[in-house]
Amino acid sequence: MSSRRSRSRQSGVSTEITDAQITDLVSKLQQLIPELRARRSDKVSASKVLQETCNYIKNLHREVDDLSDRLSELLANTDSNSAQAAIIRSLLM
Amino acid sequence: MSSLQSNVDSTNSETLQRSNPKKRRKIGHTNSPTLVPWRSDTQQRIYSSKLADALRHVLRRNHPPPPVKSNTGREVRETADRVLAATAKGRTRWSRAILASPLNRWKLRRMHKKVHKAATGLGKRPPETRRRLPVVQKKARLLSRLVPGCRKLSFPNLLEEATDYISALEMQVRAMTALTELLAGGTSQAAA
Repeated sequence: MSSRRSRSRQSGVSTEITDAQITDLVSKLQQLIPELRARRSDKVSASKVLQETCNYIKNLHREVDDLSDRLSELLANTDSNSAQAAIIRSLLM
Repeated sequence: MSSLQSNVDSTNSETLQRSNPKKRRKIGHTNSPTLVPWRSDTQQRIYSSKLADALRHVLRRNHPPPPVKSNTGREVRETADRVLAATAKGRTRWSRAILASPLNRWKLRRMHKKVHKAATGLGKRPPETRRRLPVVQKKARLLSRLVPGCRKLSFPNLLEEATDYISALEMQVRAMTALTELLAGGTSQAAA
């Protein structure tokens, strides 16, 4: 985080990072997270938004892992049954 | 970067030629509207077709099914992530990070799995006024570890990447769910 100021000094463009920018981004992030969408932004602190974001991303990762496991099982079992395999092959191959 | 481009090109050269030319994003640039609309149906269809293509390759490679079946789940996940990153057309940092190092990510993940402490609820002050509060910094560091390729990013850029990454992940879940239901529906119909 301390590299923020030095980076803005090094670049030729005057890129100050204002508080309004940050609150804007935090509110945008808040709109994406289903748990925080109902609440108003003045009642939700940025740390809570960040915490919920981390949890949400972890949940999404877990869902993708589960889905990919199921997909791999389905793909691995296609060779056993010829009727299923025909359907799946028509889709994927 | 050219090697990255060739990787992306090999998977989706047609879409790249059809879509708008890439716009460069500078670091610190705010609110660029050129990001991928992850919620649109078109994007999901593009992703699903590319995922089907990629899974086809995986299926062909594993056609004599390997004796150790525990690996294919991970392969599918990596393929899905790579296709997701390719769909992002390399405009975001996390997509470039995924495409750059598919091998290192999983090993690093397993080595660096730490138990995250629960939020202690110390900093009750409104953190928006002073963004160098250690509580917010800690959470931002957690977040940067979750989003690939964002460890050394500034705070606002990290938030931008996180918003895009979340939308992309949601689309990935939707597309994979649809694909799984399609395949499972096929198998259950045949079994019945």
